[in-house]
Amino acid sequence: MKYLRTISNNQLFIGFLTTLLAWQVIYFLIDTHTIPAPMETLIYLYTMKLPVLLHVLASMSRVLVAVGIALIIGVPIGIFAGINHLFNQFFSPFLYYIYPIPKVAFLPVLMLLYGLGNQSKVILIIFIIVFQIILSVRDGVRQIPSSYFTVMDSFASSTLSKYRYLIIPAISPHIFSGLRISIGISLATLFFAENYATTYGIGYYILSAWTKMDYIEMFSGIVALSFLGILMFKAIDLLEAKTTPWNKKPF
Amino acid sequence: MKNKDAFIRLSDVSYRFGERAVINQLSLSLDKGVSYALIGQSGIGKSTLLQLLAGFISPDSGSIYINDKKLIKPRVKTGFLFQELGLFPWQTAFDSIKMPLQMHTSVQKESLKSSVFKWLKELQIEDCHERYPHELSGGQKQRVALARTLITEPDFLLMDEPTTAIDAMTKESIQALILAQHKKQQTTMLFVTHDIEEAVYLGEVILIMREGGKITRIPNPLFGIENNRETLAFYQACIDVRKHINLEMELDEVFTHNK
Ligand SMILES: Nc1ncnc2c1ncn2[C@@H]1O[C@H](COP(=O)(O)OP(=O)(O)OP(=O)(O)O)[C@@H](O)[C@H]1O
Ligand SMILES: [Mg+2]
Repeated sequence: MKYLRTISNNQLFIGFLTTLLAWQVIYFLIDTHTIPAPMETLIYLYTMKLPVLLHVLASMSRVLVAVGIALIIGVPIGIFAGINHLFNQFFSPFLYYIYPIPKVAFLPVLMLLYGLGNQSKVILIIFIIVFQIILSVRDGVRQIPSSYFTVMDSFASSTLSKYRYLIIPAISPHIFSGLRISIGISLATLFFAENYATTYGIGYYILSAWTKMDYIEMFSGIVALSFLGILMFKAIDLLEAKTTPWNKKPF
Repeated sequence: MKNKDAFIRLSDVSYRFGERAVINQLSLSLDKGVSYALIGQSGIGKSTLLQLLAGFISPDSGSIYINDKKLIKPRVKTGFLFQELGLFPWQTAFDSIKMPLQMHTSVQKESLKSSVFKWLKELQIEDCHERYPHELSGGQKQRVALARTLITEPDFLLMDEPTTAIDAMTKESIQALILAQHKKQQTTMLFVTHDIEEAVYLGEVILIMREGGKITRIPNPLFGIENNRETLAFYQACIDVRKHINLEMELDEVFTHNK
């Protein structure tokens, strides 16, 4: 009984089962060879686990490096845009123009500038997510009640203290929500970015299976990609729970 | 009024919102170690005066001197207790109280901790030290905010309606705490209140603010007499102050009608 409850409390496990179930239903309803059976795919993935793991690791490192650099660039700009109204007045319209543009369209330009290798792929991901991070951080800063700044004034605080005790803690939940969206977009971008000039990456693995019309292999890649996503989202959840404990929310 | 040794001195201070001079050429001096209660109609400019004294806003003309130094920006030694308290949701009671001390001193972690616990104990909230504001009751929050303001041992304490937002029972215990701290630290104190009883209980001098920030002082001979809330004399004093206020209000009305 207790065991059952632990399982039923595990959202990840439930999610996995529902996905499998939906997949199985679709598999039965749409009887086509382009959709492989879930069990068959999982077994295939299991037999291919080592090569697939290498692809996953290659993609994960690209995403991690890109997210790291996007944070280093985006957080200070976001804070500045949130604090400095003049800067924000010029910057926001620019942001709103850039934001909806499908940045993958710039991949050829980036490849021309930075070569075909990892650099252009990572820069593409940075280019795509950095605006998301800037926006999240800027809005986070703008949502700080002005009375909180008055409180800091009442303690005659230095600028540094304002960052340490007020701005950084206030924006960290916003950074995490920006990160979640960014990682989702990054993973989806891999499919496109890893199309060129690489033989490693889960995006490449899926695409090459597609061109080979090997649908079991292709679906095994998609499953691996979703595992990678879950892993990264879980890591963010843990990091968030650790660094913003006042902001508790279930799952 | 023309007290040269005054701790706080305002000379010809004016502050306007647009056309309206909320504070108009106000000169006032406050003595060291005295507790002042500030009473006046809503919207008359009490909070504005407090913000001027805290250095959050600067006078349009005139100057403010604290300890013979011209006030140009918030002082470390001025404490401010906000009506909305302004506790940060990401700080536990312990972190809140520690923050002002940590900001201004380079003391060791251990001695920081013992100072914070001294104040937690002083205000009877030791059990709450790990709690975030949303895990505290109204009265507990009030105590945390008070401890956070007092830990730097301010020589000048400003409080904007410190007890307006809490229930009657908690209110009396917070008032008793404030009074005890004032007696212990000999802090110069100016607090805004709408509650005449509170003014008579906590204020050694009662200041009534009228249009343009004009201020009338009423001394409170009852101040500091132990348990004075349980005497008839206390309520007689409240009645006297109330009469005084009504008189001042009438003056204001005559004044504005003649204009
Ligand atoms: N930021 C502002 N801009 C314009 N007018 C303001 C501003 N802040 C306050 N006022 C006006 O200045 C006057 C004095 O405000 P203040 O907050 O000092 O009043 P108060 O005596 O503290 O009132 P209360 O008892 O209601 O708190 C009010 O008429 C108010 O409308
Ligand atoms: Mg007010």
